[in-house]
Amino acid sequence: MPGTTAIPDIELIVENVGGGGGGGPTPPPGGGDDGDGDAGKRRRPGRTPSNRYYTGITLGIVSILMFFMALASAFLVRRGTSGDWIPVHFPAVLWLNTLALIASSFTLERARRALSRLDLSGFRKLWAVTTSLGALFLIGQLVAWRQLVAQGVFMASNPASSFFYIFTAAHGVHLLGGVGALLYVLARKFDNTRIALPTAAEIASYYWHFMDGLWVFLLTLLYLGK
Amino acid sequence: MDNNDSGANHSETPQTGLSRYVFSTNHKTIGLNYLWLALFSVFLGMAMSLLMRIHLVWPGAHLPFLSSLDNSPDRYAALATLHGSLMVFLVLTAAPQAGFGNYFLPLQIGAREMAFPTLNLLAFWATLASFVGLTGAFLISTQSGITLWIVSVTIFCSASLCNALNFSVTTIDLRAQGMTLPRLPLTVWAWFINAILGMLIFSILLAACVCLLSDRLLSTHFFPPLYLLASQPGAVVTSAVSILWQRLFWFFAQAEVYVAILPCFGLVTHLVSTFSRKPVWKERLVVLALCGVGVFGFCVWGQHMFSSGMNPFSPLVFSLLASSLGLPATILLVSWLGTLWNARIQLNTSMLFALGFVSLFLSGGLSGIFLARQDLAAAAVSDDFITGHFHLVMGVAATFAILGALFFWFPKLFGRRLNEPLGKLHFWITFAGVYCVFMPMHWLGLIVHSRVSPGSPLASVAAAGSAIRTFITVAILLTVFAQGLFLINFLWSLFRGEKTEECNFWRATTLEWSVPSPPPANDFGPSDPVVYRGAYEFSVPDVAEDFVPQHLAPEQGAKARESGQ
Repeated sequence: MPGTTAIPDIELIVENVGGGGGGGPTPPPGGGDDGDGDAGKRRRPGRTPSNRYYTGITLGIVSILMFFMALASAFLVRRGTSGDWIPVHFPAVLWLNTLALIASSFTLERARRALSRLDLSGFRKLWAVTTSLGALFLIGQLVAWRQLVAQGVFMASNPASSFFYIFTAAHGVHLLGGVGALLYVLARKFDNTRIALPTAAEIASYYWHFMDGLWVFLLTLLYLGK
Repeated sequence: MDNNDSGANHSETPQTGLSRYVFSTNHKTIGLNYLWLALFSVFLGMAMSLLMRIHLVWPGAHLPFLSSLDNSPDRYAALATLHGSLMVFLVLTAAPQAGFGNYFLPLQIGAREMAFPTLNLLAFWATLASFVGLTGAFLISTQSGITLWIVSVTIFCSASLCNALNFSVTTIDLRAQGMTLPRLPLTVWAWFINAILGMLIFSILLAACVCLLSDRLLSTHFFPPLYLLASQPGAVVTSAVSILWQRLFWFFAQAEVYVAILPCFGLVTHLVSTFSRKPVWKERLVVLALCGVGVFGFCVWGQHMFSSGMNPFSPLVFSLLASSLGLPATILLVSWLGTLWNARIQLNTSMLFALGFVSLFLSGGLSGIFLARQDLAAAAVSDDFITGHFHLVMGVAATFAILGALFFWFPKLFGRRLNEPLGKLHFWITFAGVYCVFMPMHWLGLIVHSRVSPGSPLASVAAAGSAIRTFITVAILLTVFAQGLFLINFLWSLFRGEKTEECNFWRATTLEWSVPSPPPANDFGPSDPVVYRGAYEFSVPDVAEDFVPQHLAPEQGAKARESGQ
């Protein structure tokens, strides 16, 4: 949940904001955060304070996955055992949305590669493209809902439609948080913050790729489970 | 989002009023807030249980609270729900984990702060909102009350998730130099394992609550109501659908029992070791046992659904899993007894409550063995038996651990200590009281199911049922009023209690005792703490004192040894 990790904190950790840490090739850009200074200043050898963000996003992802797994198991149980199940006819725009989301993961990685080359303007451009693709996906999901409503398929129509709406809504809300995180990375000046730009970008990218993969999983589940 | 510029200096400037209590992201303020909330909830919840018992024995009695709110069966069910949700969510889940955990986890690992302080603050206010919602749900009409209750539980789930995230990240990444995993105090281990468990199960309850809310507000049919099922032909909706909610709920709720009790295991182990002046017996094994409770606790959800018509093999699996919980529980018990063995026990109130926990856990746990077996559970399952079982092992035992921890940490929290004679009196009355209340409940549960034919020798036993009920109610009256002693002790000691000037009042080893009481805003002063040894070095040979604090450097220890000789 990257939308909520605000850290006003004590002075001691500010002095030392590490670059990478959680795997992934992100050498830090020049500006003032070159990880390890002299050993005396470091709190723990081999650890940087930004570790908490990597751990946080990993555990957060596990937690969110658990939420969707609960819904998925409810979906399977409900589908396998009831006769009031009327399959949802997928609006075509759904496939376009999926393409947009997958494309956004690629542009995100391109953006991070640009950042690692210290190409800041290229990074911002690609990052903005990613953000708009994410927004496009969300708008596309709303369009899909409207098309379903036009077909007369509502939330309460039957269990299949209920699950379709609740999966897309829950995923949409989580992805909205992801768009917020992308915007935050884009808009925030990382001059004197505890979290460095490459770190923030990497954290946001983890969440974004997870949301992307989750959507592909959910779509497969909904499609095969029709 | 991240906002480092504002409020970053909370540890330096003395803050007053609103910003100090409402917007402070300091882990100690938040921890204390949780404890205050739990204290208020526990007395509210106790009042509820009193009303229920009185209504059960004297149904005609005019109850001040219930009568004014149309005295209907719905109202009684709402009362039981409020009692349960207050006690389980805001006392048993919040106090040992969020309350003591927030305050002492950073202190014990030398962290100065939780990993995500603002998230922590949000979690507290969400918890408070859910408290208001749960209580408010009781006061409004039944249908909207149920909706409000579900909304509140959803909010509580989100808050618990944030909390769990914060706890686990703090433990993983913010430990002081030298605080390796084997050197972690067992309290921290318990909080950590509990946070991981909480992160998994509260997501599930959150998902279930979202579906349930959608059913109520958007008229979907994730969980078809029973009347709907009854009206459908049998082939259309099989029985599995109606137990979908049960599956999701018990997946959470059975593990929730361990979420409530796990931190208490940690607290009690810590207290037993400190006041026996001995290291925890088989410390590594205890850590494994705590992990075992977490893992098994996560897997036994099906145990509650023996009677739901599941696959005939699954009860066997769940039964085995539930029984294997006995293994870590036995390890813990043996470790406590092993620590106590041959020890110079300091029998103060805190230790009394810890020992009370051991006793209650043992006697409550024994009846759990009945419930873990499918065949026995079918015979023993009845409201009273279950009520007696889980109150003894979860409710009361956990409360004893919380009280023990409060007596232990009160000098650190407030720089004063609780009154000992009054505390001991409170302990003994409560200890006797809870046994008088919950043991007879087990018997009641068995009597109901023994299907006595008139004239048989058991008939007189069955006739004793109503006498037992009255006995329980009288016992509960006395026990609840004895809690007044605690309240008096608490409030009096807060302002007038004996002052405890020294940092390390109990001569304990962990890091929180290396700082003044109450701890300053930034906890450890200018220099970061460094840890040199394990958490339970009591009665080490050739050392002047009978304890060696974790922050004592080896050279300092040697110096102390020389001066001792």
